[in-house]
Amino acid sequence: MNKVIVKILLMAFLATLIGCSDSSNKVKITFIGPLTGGVSAGGLGGRNSAELAVRLRNASGQSKYSYELVPLDDECKPNIGVQVATKASADPAVIAGVTHYCSAVAMGTVDIYHKFGLPVIVWGAVLPDITYANDYKEIHRVNGTMINQNEVAANFMVERGYKTWAVIHDTTDYGKGHNEYFSKSLSPLGGKILGTFAVNAEQQDFTAELTQIKRLNPDVIYFGGLAPTGVRIRAQMEKLAMDQVFQGTSGIVSDAFIEGAGDLAEGVLAFREGAPTEKLPGGAVFIEKYTEANFNEPPEAYGAFSFAAANLIMDAIEKVGPDRIAVMAELNATNDHDSIIGKISFDDHGQNTVAVITKYVIQDGKWVVWEDSSYAAGAKRLTR
Amino acid sequence: MDLGFLAQFFVNGLVLGVIYALVAVGFTLFFGVLDVIKFSHGDVLMLGAFTALATYLGLSDIGVAPGVALILVFVAGIAGMAFVGAIVCKFLVLPLRGAPQLNTLLITLMFGTVIRESVRLFYPSGSNPKPFPKLLPDNAFEFGNLTLRLDSCIIVLLGILAIIFTQLFIQKTKFGLAIRAVAQDEETARLMGVNFKTVVLLTFALGSALAAVGGISTGLYYQEINFAMGLMLGLIGFSSAVLGGLGSLYGAIAGGFLFAALQTVGAVWFAVPAYKDVFAFAVVIMLMAWRPTGLLAERNEERV
Amino acid sequence: MANFVKGHFLITILATIAGLFVYFFLHLERSWEIVLVVGLAVLTMVVSRRKNLIARAQETCLQKPKFSISVFFVAAVAIIFALRSEHFALLMLTTVLLYITVCFGLTAQFGFVGLVNFAGIAFFGIGAYTTAVLYQYAAIPDFLIILASGLVAAVIGSILILPILRTKGHYAALITIAFGVLFRTFLEVNDTLGGPQGLKVDGISVFGLSFNENINLGLLGTGSSYVTYSILALVLCLVTFVFVRRMENSWVGLNMDMVRHDEIAAASFGIHPPSWKILAFTLGNFFAGLAGSIYASMSGFIAPASFNFADSLVLVSIVLLGGLGNVFSVIPAAFLVVVLPEKLQLIQEYRLLIFGIVVILILRFKPSGIMPRGARRYYPSLGVKK
Repeated sequence: MNKVIVKILLMAFLATLIGCSDSSNKVKITFIGPLTGGVSAGGLGGRNSAELAVRLRNASGQSKYSYELVPLDDECKPNIGVQVATKASADPAVIAGVTHYCSAVAMGTVDIYHKFGLPVIVWGAVLPDITYANDYKEIHRVNGTMINQNEVAANFMVERGYKTWAVIHDTTDYGKGHNEYFSKSLSPLGGKILGTFAVNAEQQDFTAELTQIKRLNPDVIYFGGLAPTGVRIRAQMEKLAMDQVFQGTSGIVSDAFIEGAGDLAEGVLAFREGAPTEKLPGGAVFIEKYTEANFNEPPEAYGAFSFAAANLIMDAIEKVGPDRIAVMAELNATNDHDSIIGKISFDDHGQNTVAVITKYVIQDGKWVVWEDSSYAAGAKRLTR
Repeated sequence: MDLGFLAQFFVNGLVLGVIYALVAVGFTLFFGVLDVIKFSHGDVLMLGAFTALATYLGLSDIGVAPGVALILVFVAGIAGMAFVGAIVCKFLVLPLRGAPQLNTLLITLMFGTVIRESVRLFYPSGSNPKPFPKLLPDNAFEFGNLTLRLDSCIIVLLGILAIIFTQLFIQKTKFGLAIRAVAQDEETARLMGVNFKTVVLLTFALGSALAAVGGISTGLYYQEINFAMGLMLGLIGFSSAVLGGLGSLYGAIAGGFLFAALQTVGAVWFAVPAYKDVFAFAVVIMLMAWRPTGLLAERNEERV
Repeated sequence: MANFVKGHFLITILATIAGLFVYFFLHLERSWEIVLVVGLAVLTMVVSRRKNLIARAQETCLQKPKFSISVFFVAAVAIIFALRSEHFALLMLTTVLLYITVCFGLTAQFGFVGLVNFAGIAFFGIGAYTTAVLYQYAAIPDFLIILASGLVAAVIGSILILPILRTKGHYAALITIAFGVLFRTFLEVNDTLGGPQGLKVDGISVFGLSFNENINLGLLGTGSSYVTYSILALVLCLVTFVFVRRMENSWVGLNMDMVRHDEIAAASFGIHPPSWKILAFTLGNFFAGLAGSIYASMSGFIAPASFNFADSLVLVSIVLLGGLGNVFSVIPAAFLVVVLPEKLQLIQEYRLLIFGIVVILILRFKPSGIMPRGARRYYPSLGVKK
């Protein structure tokens, strides 16, 4: 009896073996970003944009290879990010990656990419250390860093006459980085930070922190963190009848913030590197194609960067073939490369220079560029 | 510290305490009748809030007045969760009576995961935090540095009413008597003609309805709900119930307020307010070492 | 003599089948293939249960413990060898082996003396963090770092001993739950240990052989850097297994059984229940710490989010799904629970949902687990009378 079963099993295994011959000879590119969880809106927008780039390339009929996007979910958690980055890097068919929206995750995974020699282009994470704290040739970034963002933010706010701040930041490298760079930019300008509150990104109740801030009575609450936490803080300020101006960072520039905060989003400020998508050199075309493709989610603030990164990778592969080392060298040599976000040039750390910082304010349920808003025109006024 | 701010902290803590107490009472009810922990409780709370939100969105589409909508939202949430509670009991808890208690804990935990994941996947863009409608009047009264909002007061009042109602139901009605009888001694209660199954199902429905009230209150208070909110609330509610003494209604209430107080004190005390949860849970462990069966538990001699 | 040979032959066949299953389970990528393999495994289980094959197989193995252990060890090494260049499969295999080690510890706590530990992942995490910190600040041999991580986990666990001994049942469960949540929140808030960002961990190196470099195997191609870790984890797992099994079969296990069944009766027979509880609890945490240490060096990066309450639940579900108290059962259960959701990543978003439903179904219809613990065998070498 035993033997019969064993024989059957062995035969079944042989059948499985034969069944799993590899048939695809597509060139794989991985996309890593948060596809689930609180900040998934940004991640899904990025994935769709990268997917769009791949689809357009495959449909163009002029490419030497046929491409396949392998989207992976890092859940905006460093440990999950390390896991999926390992998975992607360990697959020899994956030639390069468009990776990470969350700085906290990117900080954890750069070592993995270096270890496995997978060239990647960061499409959304803004912490400077991702490119500058190491000498890894594998790591590139098309979007700017948070340093310029906070310089512009501090200048702008001081010019508008605000004098005192309370800082709330989440305790990831992202939040800490914002706290650091904003404080650095603010102090020479004479702005004063009355209190700094480190909070847990998954915290639900902020009334205790906000009551403390109410005691300090600053003009502005600066928030360094991502949309879900920002929504909660904005909503609970209302509970305590606080009329401080809410100043956020690139992490809240997302439709999810407006959806979450509802009416309270009105008059919230935020700063982001790069021009708004519709004002980018190829922005109109990108938005048109994106709309045509009928994705379920909007491209969000960083979709254009993801699109550009995917195209940059495919251009490199077209030129030097699907080989990680050659692609990496090609990417490192990128100079004045045309893309929808403008010319891309990497410095010796693989960082693209993005000079423009856009100032946003939420007006009537939309992220509006400050200069175009009724606030700048004087028709509307911020709370303080 | 200024008295107004002190009062502000007190009010913040009070609202939290009511919500925790609502969750804790559910845990204590389930434990009372069946000696089980139903860990999907926190996620049932979340589902209650989402049911309420969906109901509101549906109602506002057909143009129902906010006042009426508020009542209907509560009715939908409460009825829906009472039903879910009874279903969980019938299909996941009762069949497992013979198995070790921990299996019940695990199966309900997994059911909680299923609820959470289902909301995340099947509610339209369910992974994002959702704004909860402002259905209560938000007039604010300023007393020096204390801001008292009408909606916070109503939430506290509502929670207390719900708990008093539960208490009256258990103490004064015939069904309540049956619940107490089952809690005391299942077999004797059966012998006395109590329909055991009905009583248990009803208790689970009652406890889950309270969770719905907690969920909707959370939504009304924070004006935001998300699919993961139940996990921590469930844990805190469970801790509160155990802290007070499982099976004791007053214990659960006391536990809920105590936990909120610990968190608030922790947030004021520490330079980094985020240490408040560490503080609260550390105190819970210490209290348990001091009173091993909770603060208000019945003294129970062990017979051999 | 013939009987003797037959036994060895059977064990070898068993090891081969199990090995093939594991190999294909780890190796295959496509969803339908995974489903096929899992389906086959379930089918085999059902068929063999019908024919009472599982009990007989276990019996055969129990009669020749040393031989079976060495055969299964060889099978495991063969799997590692076959997967030598597949980083991700090896990573998963190592993770499973480490989880199994932790679950052996949990079995000692939960299955032997009846102490539920909902903070398993916290002790795993303590081991991991100890390793990270020691690598940064102390120049001691790597072997000692692993040992120290286990010890630190055991020592920190001893804080909980007093409240755990005083409480029972759900109250004791609360204490471990509270500790698990406290541990994670503490890590998230604490700045010196990296906060939510986590810490980077150096890899192990022994005699100049760095565990994090890929190994050149000459003609056989390059071996993944995870090969060394998987072998290390395998050895740890094996040692723990032998230790726990020996303990279970000895008078220690007998005393523990008694403490679990009836503390008062045990006490009146002169057994001191608290000592046995402390022993099991400390030992379990020690194992968790050791496994956590290897995990930290292997993944090179640890963050509080890796040590969630939900992960503790995963550990407890492994122990319960397998069959509470049965040391063997942990192994298939761990493979199922750890690898399946990872393999089902192709249906990405739904994997947790499906996992939840599967666990509910198993608990509902197979409440004592896939391999329930049998009655204690006082003379295992004599076999069961039929």
